[in-house]
Amino acid sequence: MAAAAVGGVRNSFVYKIRSFINKNLVNLFAGALFALLAIFLVYPICAVLVNSFWGEDGFTLSFYKEFFEYNFYYWSLFNTLILGFSTMIILVVVGFCFAYLTTRGPLSLRKPLKIIALLPLAAPPYIFSISLITLLGRNGFINNWLNLNFNIYSWTGVIAAQCLAFLPLSYMMIENVLNSLNPSLEETAADMGASEARIIRSITIPLAAPGLLKAALLVFVMTIAEFGNPAILGGRLPFLAPDTYLMITGEGDFNMASVLSLVLIVPCVIIFFLHNYVLKGKGYATIVGKPTATEPKEMSPVVKIPFLLITIPAAVMILLSFGVILLGAFVKIVGVDNTFIIDHIINTQSNIAIWNSIKVSLAAGLFGAVVGTLLAYVIMRGKFPGKRIMEMMALSGFALPGTVIGVGYIIAFNRPPFLLTGTIWIIILNCVFRFVAVGVEAGISKLHQISIEIEEASADLGADFITIFIKIILPIMFSAFVAGFIYTFMTTMMSLSSVIFLVTPGFDLASVYIYLTAQLGELGLASATTVKMIAIVVVCMAILKIIAKKTGLDVSKQQGV
Amino acid sequence: MENRQSPMLELIDIYKNFGDVKVLKGISASIAKGELLTFVGPSGCGKTTLLRIIGGFTPLTSGKVILDGENIGALPPNMRNTKMVFQSYALFPHMNVRKNIGFGLKLKKWPKKKIDDRVEQLLSLVYMEGLGDRTIDRISGGQQQRVALARALALEPKVLLLDEPLSNLDANLRVVMRDEIRNIQERIGVTTIFVTHDQYEAMSISDRILVLSNGVIQQIGSPMEIYEKPANQFIAGFVGYVNFLEGTVKKADPRAETISVSTEYGSLTVATGNQRKVDIGDTVVIIIRPETVTLFPAERTDLPNTFHGRVESKMYAGNLAKYTVRIGDKALVIDQYNPKDAIQFQRGDDVTFTIPETVHILAKPAIQA
Repeated sequence: MAAAAVGGVRNSFVYKIRSFINKNLVNLFAGALFALLAIFLVYPICAVLVNSFWGEDGFTLSFYKEFFEYNFYYWSLFNTLILGFSTMIILVVVGFCFAYLTTRGPLSLRKPLKIIALLPLAAPPYIFSISLITLLGRNGFINNWLNLNFNIYSWTGVIAAQCLAFLPLSYMMIENVLNSLNPSLEETAADMGASEARIIRSITIPLAAPGLLKAALLVFVMTIAEFGNPAILGGRLPFLAPDTYLMITGEGDFNMASVLSLVLIVPCVIIFFLHNYVLKGKGYATIVGKPTATEPKEMSPVVKIPFLLITIPAAVMILLSFGVILLGAFVKIVGVDNTFIIDHIINTQSNIAIWNSIKVSLAAGLFGAVVGTLLAYVIMRGKFPGKRIMEMMALSGFALPGTVIGVGYIIAFNRPPFLLTGTIWIIILNCVFRFVAVGVEAGISKLHQISIEIEEASADLGADFITIFIKIILPIMFSAFVAGFIYTFMTTMMSLSSVIFLVTPGFDLASVYIYLTAQLGELGLASATTVKMIAIVVVCMAILKIIAKKTGLDVSKQQGV
Repeated sequence: MENRQSPMLELIDIYKNFGDVKVLKGISASIAKGELLTFVGPSGCGKTTLLRIIGGFTPLTSGKVILDGENIGALPPNMRNTKMVFQSYALFPHMNVRKNIGFGLKLKKWPKKKIDDRVEQLLSLVYMEGLGDRTIDRISGGQQQRVALARALALEPKVLLLDEPLSNLDANLRVVMRDEIRNIQERIGVTTIFVTHDQYEAMSISDRILVLSNGVIQQIGSPMEIYEKPANQFIAGFVGYVNFLEGTVKKADPRAETISVSTEYGSLTVATGNQRKVDIGDTVVIIIRPETVTLFPAERTDLPNTFHGRVESKMYAGNLAKYTVRIGDKALVIDQYNPKDAIQFQRGDDVTFTIPETVHILAKPAIQA
């Protein structure tokens, strides 16, 4: 009788479907995900590539020729590289000073300096354009107060804004490597008679070199890809990211826009590969003894004074920036007319922009988390050819400058079969696939923590794949899912460089609204919108911190807008 | 081991607090020139902290560190002539062997030729001739240990500090390196402090041992003193296995320098030595090392301090046989060395055993720790 019952079950339609899914679920997911990545990541980038070679008369190199013939174009490239290099050099030095003081400096300074160095993470990078204009612009209150004739719309302004915006990136990398150095190495050097300055020169810096190099490369990539600061403060200086945007909005020249954005890709791709494949795992492995309670030593003034002279002004600028943004949201014009008003904060357009951003970010977060979690699972557990390619595709969105993907989306989804231009979906999908890498990495690191034996044990106990997936895998991946969701939500909120290509008039996103109001000098509105955005981002970061504390999954320190 | 010379290093009433935690509570000790003193104690007893205070890596809360007559307690590490070998060796991974050893000399601005000669000399001292150009990741753990030692010795420190230098090596190499360190230390006669949590290591390498527990010195003495005449039950139990036997003094004969102690085994005659004064009625603890007890068949009763028991278990370990003998409700562990040439007993056998008169006794209130 029992056998008959089993036989009956085996023949039922539901059982057949179930067993089909059981056998093929991972492959079904893999196929679907491959298709999604191909359409929403590979296709737009190929579209850019094709557009840079394909004019009205078919294949041509004339666009590239044009790029290298007109000084406006190649200066745009030079300027971008100069901006990248100078920000990189300044930030390695400043980041090192911050990291040294917060790991080896006086105890009373460690916590406050660390918080300040990480503070810019809570705001989009272009916040510093707004604060610098408020402080040092034509009507800026330091400019007025000290009667300076300082022009913030210049190299100084752009570099300063970029340095402040990307300090956390450099700081976090360098702090990490300084923390991982075995303290007895520096103690031995002191024991041998080396002064603190000598120890830094002969021991600390050489040992931290791989970390310093990584920090430098990351800062370089992030800086050259940044849209907001050079667009707002660049004045007449050409830079690649804003020029690409102007090429489309001003001239409607998609071919040249493609060329400009591809030129920007080259250094990014080179550095991405250097970073992920050449530098990976580089560093010195040292035998670690027992952790001893090391008490902070008194820093020698030869080191302490220059380090403080470098860090304190940067710290003051960061605090001042957040201060004037907050102030700017609630007064008429900072430093000029300090009467309290709430007009900026309750401004309808600003609120609509924030609301739109929340809607887009929620959708992108949700969709991004689903895609990211599934990708992580398929990459880790699937057995099919092309897994590595899939992983590289998934991670590439993060490495590519937003400008490229933005241009790619308007070219690719402007015509059937994927006519998305003008809809909210093009923005959502853009953000999903640009930021999916973080969700994928979170999911992979979560899956690394659990042995495949857990799944095998469940199978051994009689569970089929669907049951395992629902009862075991999903609960385990849940923290990665939430982390991916919040991270995508947060970065979509702040993202500017690629969504600026995709918004239509009448549908403002908060980031775009901030950019436009800052361009027009409406600093009050820009500040008020930024304050609201910061509030949302801070809540998101708090949630990510809680996840990190509870599950050890930390994505809160990824930066990329 | 009294020394007549003025000490090379003197610690005077050292206290150290980490916040509210009192790590060291009044440490005083002195170390003679050329001596190898070991700090030994369970983990968390403060031995590494004390070493780091001498090296200048950890500031002391109060007290004095006198190096060759000079108070160095407040000086930073680079200003005092003590050199430390860290547990992790702390070799600079971006420099080769030669550069590591010469690092301190270069800081002292020695001319290059002189540095090279000195480094060669040190390489041969630590049996590493010809390996000077190797990078740190291309030499073995034992060799790294030697480089760290050579680097510390390069500047001819007045005191060499070794922080658990053998703990990263595997068991066989540990013994080899232990003997080698002792050998080098005796050859160049450098005053050395050696920190370890391994009491056997301490016993085999030291001139004297300083036993530390809970931030207090339990005893300082030669390995023999520590083992044979432990100052309290903690030390007796810390170094080697010990049977504790409590008893009351029944008879004290000043002329024969022996006392009679009534214990659960029966009456026991014990030599008092010359320092310990006990009176009739005092409670004492008798320290019985397993290897000092001799086993006989049950018929032998003609020897002094003879007691009867029954073998409860026996463990044969080649060089020795370990017996647990039950006497009433007490158990006594007895080691019989070279069991091959001795009469062996089996579980359930009735036996006689003798406890030598020379066993060490502790007055009961002496328990610390």
